[in-house]
Amino acid sequence: METREQTGDAQGIVGDGVFTLLVDRYYAALYRFALSLARNQADACDLTQQTFYVWATKGHMLRDATRAKTWLFTTLYREFLRGRRRDTRVTSLEDLPTGENDVADEEIDRVRRLDGALVLEALGAVAENFRTPLTLFYLEDLSYQEIAETLGVPVGTVMSRLSRGKDFLRAALAKLEQKSQIVPFPLMQRRQAP
Amino acid sequence: MNSDEAKFRLRAYRPGGRDADNAAFAEALALVERDPALREWFKNEQAFDAAVTAKIRSVAAPLELRAAILAGARIAPRRRLRFGPAWWAIAAAIVLAFTWSTFFRQPAQAGSLGEFAGFAIDDLRNGHHGGHGAALSALQAMLANPSTHLARGLPVDFAQLKNSGCRTLTFAGCDVLEICFQRAGIEFHCYILPRAGPGAAGTPYHLASNGMNAIAWNDSHYTYAVVGTAGAEAINRLL
Repeated sequence: METREQTGDAQGIVGDGVFTLLVDRYYAALYRFALSLARNQADACDLTQQTFYVWATKGHMLRDATRAKTWLFTTLYREFLRGRRRDTRVTSLEDLPTGENDVADEEIDRVRRLDGALVLEALGAVAENFRTPLTLFYLEDLSYQEIAETLGVPVGTVMSRLSRGKDFLRAALAKLEQKSQIVPFPLMQRRQAP
Repeated sequence: MNSDEAKFRLRAYRPGGRDADNAAFAEALALVERDPALREWFKNEQAFDAAVTAKIRSVAAPLELRAAILAGARIAPRRRLRFGPAWWAIAAAIVLAFTWSTFFRQPAQAGSLGEFAGFAIDDLRNGHHGGHGAALSALQAMLANPSTHLARGLPVDFAQLKNSGCRTLTFAGCDVLEICFQRAGIEFHCYILPRAGPGAAGTPYHLASNGMNAIAWNDSHYTYAVVGTAGAEAINRLL
């Protein structure tokens, strides 16, 4: 029996067209979000693909069409949480910055000097519960209310994590730049016994 | 609300004014207007955030990812017929969001053309321009000619241009040529990226950011982006 999908009926074409629009609109931002979570390109690509695969199979359940963007970011985050191993890094509460440090001019210049990949690397050094809202914030696609919805946390928590996360990020950027300025001492050649 | 409370709230204010209409920030923004110290703090905070945003956006998604997503979705068991109106609504929402971001607000990513347009804008803002060579001069003259419609095709010999000293940058691991030209006294910058294989032309993509406008499009062999500080209309006229 011929199915409607095989006949390529009008609604099917609409579906394909909208899917492509969604991919074009969000795949790069989703990839960057995935890269900041997974911290490697292969896993980030897998997560992005998996997110759109879930959309292709379950997107029709979404009743409110205006929520497609939040749905995609939420799905990617859930897929990440589902697939990852437990992060063993422990951040002691005493180590947490207060989120009250002001930005110095040199910190702005530092970011401008660094390559995009290095900034993402610094972001990757921030603990995950701060990194996730921070990345969504810097991708600029989601407001803080939408970030709260995506991550399933209260808006106050998002604000607090953004505030502290930025301090973490500035510290990570400073550390990264310091590290990149260290010139390694040439290793001494081990002399072979005659 | 005091200054500390305003700071706490404004740390969640996205750079580029995307939250300008968000009522949750209204009180804090009003305080910024009245308090010079807070205004200075906010300026620095926004500058830092804008710099981080620009850097993160410069990280391009792998070129083959989009094709892999679309190919993967084709084999997914989709149920398309139950939600036609919802899909239309999503399409409308995306088109609206696209129009909004193009003409009124900060840019957002929209696939490889959008990425490339964003790359061009970022380079115009931060790059050091220059280049020379006979092949470059010939193409520059053609680009400057008001009768040349860029989207109708350009005689690009990528290797020759590169070898003759045309400024070369890297986008997503690929070489990109940049050519400056003037049209009617207005300066533009044209970026040329070879496509992985021959492909369809598609619809040009517009992007506006920080007073700059870019348009990106494909022909069968190259992806182009032209960027300048002129308005969207002036950029459109080039095509």
